[in-house]
Amino acid sequence: MNMDHEKQLKLQAFLDEELSEAEAKEVASWLAKDQEATLLLAELRNTRQSMARFEAGVRLPESREFYWSKIEREIERLEPAAARPEPVRTSWLAAWRRFLVPAGAVAALLIAVLVTIGPPTPQGGRLEAESAFNDPGVFTYHDYDNHATLVWLSYPAEKDFPDSDQNDKVQ
Amino acid sequence: MEAFEELVARHRDKIYARAFSMMRNEEEAIDLSQEAWVKGWQRLVQFQGESSFGTWMTRIVINLCLDQLRKQKRQRTESIEAMDDETGGVERHMPPITINPTAGLERNELRQRIDKALGQLSYEHRTVLVLHEFEEMEYKEIAKTMNCSIGTVMSRLFYARRKMATLLNDLRKEK
Repeated sequence: MNMDHEKQLKLQAFLDEELSEAEAKEVASWLAKDQEATLLLAELRNTRQSMARFEAGVRLPESREFYWSKIEREIERLEPAAARPEPVRTSWLAAWRRFLVPAGAVAALLIAVLVTIGPPTPQGGRLEAESAFNDPGVFTYHDYDNHATLVWLSYPAEKDFPDSDQNDKVQ
Repeated sequence: MEAFEELVARHRDKIYARAFSMMRNEEEAIDLSQEAWVKGWQRLVQFQGESSFGTWMTRIVINLCLDQLRKQKRQRTESIEAMDDETGGVERHMPPITINPTAGLERNELRQRIDKALGQLSYEHRTVLVLHEFEEMEYKEIAKTMNCSIGTVMSRLFYARRKMATLLNDLRKEK
C-alpha cells in the first residue's frame, strides 16, 4: 500500500465521523478517484461492523446471588456502620428525664389545683391523680365532686425529642 | 442496599462484558467487575445523572481494567511485536483485505473468532478498540481516558483494526 499514514488516518476519521463537514467532503471526492482508498475504507468498515456484534451475547458466568454476595460482603467490610442498623442506647439524662418531666408536671398541676380550689371543703371533697406506669408521659386528675377530669399529655412523646434522639445514637 | 442489588442485577452482564473484552480473562473480569460495583456503591452520591447509570458504571470498570492492565504491563517485558504495533508494524503497508472475513458467520462463531483475534492484540490496541467500538467514545474521550494524545489514539485504532482484519482473515482461511 502506497498511501501515506496521514491519509490513512484521515480515511479512518471519515469512517468514524470525526471530520468537519469540509474535510469530509474533501475525503469523499478523493475516495471517488482512489480505488485503494475505497478498498481500505471497506476493510475498516467490515472490521467495525464485525466488532459491533461481539459483546451482545456475553453473559456473566455466575448466578445473581453468588455474584452479589461477594459485592455485599465487601461493602459491609468497608462500611460496617452504613450497612448495619445502629443499636439504640438511652443516655442517663434521657432516662431520667422520662420520669422527671411527668413527675414535675404532676406536682405543678396539683399545686395549681390546690391554689385554685382552696383547702379541702368541710364536706370532704374527693380528689384523685393517676399516672400510668407504662406511659409516664400521661397522667389524669379527677375531681369527683365537681365532675371534672383533666388529662395531661407530654407532647411530643419523650422518644420523639429530637435532642434526645441525637444523644442516643452511638457515633 | 436492596435497590442497589437490583441495579447490579440489571447491569451485571454489561459491566462484566466490558471487563472481559479488556482483560481477556474470565476470573479477572469477574473480580474487576465486582470491585467496580463496590466503588459504584461508595461513589453513588457522586452520580449526578448526566449519563445513564449503566454508562457511569462502565466508566468505573474501564478505569479499573486500565489500572490493572498498566500494572501487568509494568510487570512484564514488552515484546518486539508489541513495540512494532506501537510504531505501526507491517499492517500499515499491507494491501486491503477485499472480502469481509466474517460474512455469513453465526453469532457464536463470530464471537469466538473475534475473541481469539482480540486476544492477540496488545492491551493498548485492544483497549482503544473496546472504547471506540463498544463504548462508542470519541477520539478525544479515549485520549483522556488512556492519558495519551488524539494522534496516538488514531494510530492505535488504525493498526488495531488492520490487525483484526488480518487475524480474522487468517481464521477464515484456517476453516
